[in-house]
Amino acid sequence: MGSTVYLGLPLMAILALLQTAVFPRFPILNIMPQLILLAALAWGLLRGVTEGVVWAFIGGFMLDMFTIAPMGLSAVSYMTAVFTVVFLQESLPSSRFFAPLIMAGIGTIIVALTYQITARLLGYPLILQTFIHLPQTILINMILMLPIYWSMSSLYNRLRPRRVHL
Amino acid sequence: MNPDDLQKNIKWGTIVVLAVIAILFSVLDRSNNLGRFFDFVRNPLTAVSSITTSSIDPVADIANAPLTLSSARAEIEELQARVDTLERENEELHEIESAFNLLQSLFNRASQAPNIERVMANVIGRDPSAVVQSIIIDRGKGDEVQVGMPVEAARGLVGQMFRTTNDAGQIVLISDTASSIPVRLGSSRATGLLRGGGQGVPMIVDWIDLKYRLEVGEVVLTSGLGGKFPEDIVVGRVSEVDRNEAKLFQRAFVQPAVDFSALEMVFVIINFESVDSDIFTDPSVR
Repeated sequence: MGSTVYLGLPLMAILALLQTAVFPRFPILNIMPQLILLAALAWGLLRGVTEGVVWAFIGGFMLDMFTIAPMGLSAVSYMTAVFTVVFLQESLPSSRFFAPLIMAGIGTIIVALTYQITARLLGYPLILQTFIHLPQTILINMILMLPIYWSMSSLYNRLRPRRVHL
Repeated sequence: MNPDDLQKNIKWGTIVVLAVIAILFSVLDRSNNLGRFFDFVRNPLTAVSSITTSSIDPVADIANAPLTLSSARAEIEELQARVDTLERENEELHEIESAFNLLQSLFNRASQAPNIERVMANVIGRDPSAVVQSIIIDRGKGDEVQVGMPVEAARGLVGQMFRTTNDAGQIVLISDTASSIPVRLGSSRATGLLRGGGQGVPMIVDWIDLKYRLEVGEVVLTSGLGGKFPEDIVVGRVSEVDRNEAKLFQRAFVQPAVDFSALEMVFVIINFESVDSDIFTDPSVR
């Protein structure tokens, strides 16, 4: 797992920069895609729950560097989403197409709920606007999930070549 | 006179007569005395010419088609290339115009209050969180920017410095739910407390006395009370008034003057000394 942490750190830093500095300039349907969540989800679906949660932790904290919201709020919600989704995936039939799409949708809902609940517990008001935009966010995340999942899959295959039995 | 001489004379006579007639016509035509006569002849000729041309044109077009088509295509391509070039130039000019307008509005704002010292900063990031409203700028401690400094844009108040690093800073916007700013309404002179509503929710001026008659469209300015912001910075305009005689206070919904989603440049006011009012709220600070 050690090597994937070293990989996750720069990757999540780049994605956090993209999410805060680049994508706000080009909003799709007035929504910012959650790249870090998608990358962590994809890695979790490929490598298992532990590595997925570690990536979600790293990515969440990277994102929290750019917000005035309490540090760790994004990390908690991303970790919850990745953990739940990867856990759910194990009980569903595997598919390289449908599984990532469904998991991206479920993950987005879990993140929105967890984030709002945790923020509410920390004394922030409930922002209903998040839930109004939730369908668009789910749609954007689902669309972006496939290229991200396939990119991660190709990265994974390069890192760990298949073992050949002679 | 023998017949040969007669024929010769007729021949020369005809030539001379025709020459004279030609010269006569020339002279008469030159002096505009032949118009009616020639119109009499021209009218049927032009009519026939018109009919002929109209019936010949399609044939001529068909005959010349390959040549015309290829030259027309070449011409269209050339014109298309020119249109593309002009469109690109037009876009570049629009970009220059918008940059000019932005700089002009910033300059106007700076010249309105010359006693205020400002540091101009570019917006380099936005808060990814859904529960808070903030932006990141490219100025920090290294540029004399400190926590608590007010921040404005060309159109009005933006917020307050929340956090600074050496080269960057984070501003909490006035639309954030944690933001509360003492304000005054332009024409009614009513005072109240402006609270941010969060993402997509309008800001509200609360605690306005019922004795004031508020109007939609009234300008909302900072009052300077509390000592956190300089007075008379535009915040926005009243978009709706919530007045109920059964209540003690009324409130007004405010449309911000600044479009926070399109912010590119801001001013950090660096020479404003905020008043430390913690002594009135925190008993430990005595």
